[in-house]
Amino acid sequence: MQQGKLKTFIAAIAMAGSGLLLAPGSAQAVPSFARQTGFACEACHTVFPELTPFGRRFKMNGYTIDNLPQVSGITPSKEQTLALNQLPPLSFMLQASYTSTSKALPDGAVAGAEAKNGQVILPQQASLFYAGKIAPNFGAFVQMTYDGVDDAFGWDNTDVRYAQNANDQTLWGISFNNNPTVQDPWNTTPAWQSPFDQKSSVAPAPGAATMLDGSLFDMSTAGLSVYAWFNNSVYAELGGYHSAPHGFGQIDSTVDQPTISGFAPYWRLAYERQWDRKSWEVGAYGMVAKVYPGNGNALQGATDKYSDWAVDSQYQYIGDRDLLTFTGTYIDEKQTLDASFANGDSANPSDDLKTLRINASYFYKRKYGAALGYFSTTGSADAGLYAPNAIDGYANNKPDSKGWTSELDWVPYENTKFALQYTMYNKYNGGDTNYDGAGRNAKDNNTLYLLSWINF
Amino acid sequence: MKKIIAIAVGAVLASGAGVALAQSKEAKTLAQDVCSACHGPEGRSISPVFPRLAGQQRGYIIVQLDAFRNHTRGDPNARAYMWGMASQLSDATIKALATYYSEQKPVNGHPGDPALMAEGKKIFTQGIKAQNVPPCESCHGPKAEGAGAFPRLAGQHVDYLIGQLEGFQSGTRSNAPIMQNVVRTMTPEQLKAAATYAASK
Repeated sequence: MQQGKLKTFIAAIAMAGSGLLLAPGSAQAVPSFARQTGFACEACHTVFPELTPFGRRFKMNGYTIDNLPQVSGITPSKEQTLALNQLPPLSFMLQASYTSTSKALPDGAVAGAEAKNGQVILPQQASLFYAGKIAPNFGAFVQMTYDGVDDAFGWDNTDVRYAQNANDQTLWGISFNNNPTVQDPWNTTPAWQSPFDQKSSVAPAPGAATMLDGSLFDMSTAGLSVYAWFNNSVYAELGGYHSAPHGFGQIDSTVDQPTISGFAPYWRLAYERQWDRKSWEVGAYGMVAKVYPGNGNALQGATDKYSDWAVDSQYQYIGDRDLLTFTGTYIDEKQTLDASFANGDSANPSDDLKTLRINASYFYKRKYGAALGYFSTTGSADAGLYAPNAIDGYANNKPDSKGWTSELDWVPYENTKFALQYTMYNKYNGGDTNYDGAGRNAKDNNTLYLLSWINF
Repeated sequence: MKKIIAIAVGAVLASGAGVALAQSKEAKTLAQDVCSACHGPEGRSISPVFPRLAGQQRGYIIVQLDAFRNHTRGDPNARAYMWGMASQLSDATIKALATYYSEQKPVNGHPGDPALMAEGKKIFTQGIKAQNVPPCESCHGPKAEGAGAFPRLAGQHVDYLIGQLEGFQSGTRSNAPIMQNVVRTMTPEQLKAAATYAASK
């Protein structure tokens, strides 16, 4: 680290200490759950947002377990007509961040990015949650987020559920949500992946990502799925997603963003074994969507078809002193680009894209943590989808990016986290040197990121 | 939660066998819908963070749930989980839950490390005279089955028992003056041995 950068960095740490740093991504553990249940965060989270086996059960159970005085109504036959927490389950989240890339981006190279490096963003993200029980067997996790980079308030993660215990061994439920995998109980799937669920929103990020990784819809979908949890070990879910563009302006004959034609099926199967203080999950999930590519094209005619299937695995050891988690997922995407090929956006009629992530994290007494992860995305070369452009382009038309992420964490309280993260690229948008055709190297995008994250 | 309220309503009306029957049914539903998330189906938990309740003494469960409710039992996991869980329980619900769990079939114990078992057996049956530690079985019974407010230890998670003994020693679990006195001079090795043997019964 150079002298000047070091100074800025120390300044940023000092700022973090004063309680006001911030960052992006999806996100969270919510104190309203703690208020509703009377459980400390550690009941449901190893360290937020990663869930413990009980946290997964709480989620599958529809966020309804509660221990608050209730406003209630019953009929003469004792049928319950209302059971509402006396206090609304509201929470607030604040993130501030500091980002520094190895080599500053040139002025105006990408929207909003200027030559200056070492950006402090406050707030990077500020969210308001309604998270908790709505009625018996009925609960919600709803997040509204102000994004400090976009300077806009928007609809974020949403998961509204109905859940019921059929008997001692079986729990079933329905989830209405806005982002494939946001409803998933494990931290392997894209929406809540841990430990690197938070990344800088201003640093350059590799361009290619699969549909399941959120490349297409950005929470502009509505999905309904039915799930069941058998014998504390087998999870099965089946559902579908439909496009739900935000705002009236989007409901038109043409759209800017990719739009699902009809319903896109989503499925998930997982097996988890719990023993002693350990749990191990292996699973698979997938989604198939026919998509109008957007970019002002009509919502009719040819579509692009994305078929994603994925496998995942998670191991957790939750001791009183040591907490150890391994997560991994592999996503394989087949793209049949009838629409994009016909209008010249892609050079091939079909492409594939594969993503692998493997992570390990360790926490000492839930206070001091370290994590290391490897990521890789590779796929077909396509001169249409992956064209050269300064910073965010692809000089050799390949989507490949690979590298490592490492992180140090300090969690002074169960609802407050400070993270120092470093992302290192061995390959970025298809190359290691001059990957964009304008002289930028993969390692120039190496990113130092400091995040403070507070929930209350 | 629906069941708690239903049970609480039931409690107010409680008088007569019909109501008691209704309560035991509600207790079973509550145990299945809520408690089982940690304590396992019928009280046979998997993780040693959560004690097995199957076959636990009714009197002991009542005392502990009441202690969670009024915050007199404050060890770390009691605070993290049970203070919230027990906060809205009525006396009648507590009794019904205690009855339900005491009637479930306990988990069988398994012998642990032979050296620990041998030392544990000595402590369990004879105590440690030099340290003024009475034999465990004098209160917990020869089969570690417990009696009334003295808990069953047989078939319990060893780690859970060790955690509780450490809690008595450090004072984080201070709702059992007898046990605080018993473990005062015991070494970590002795605690481990006693817990291993008692759980194996």
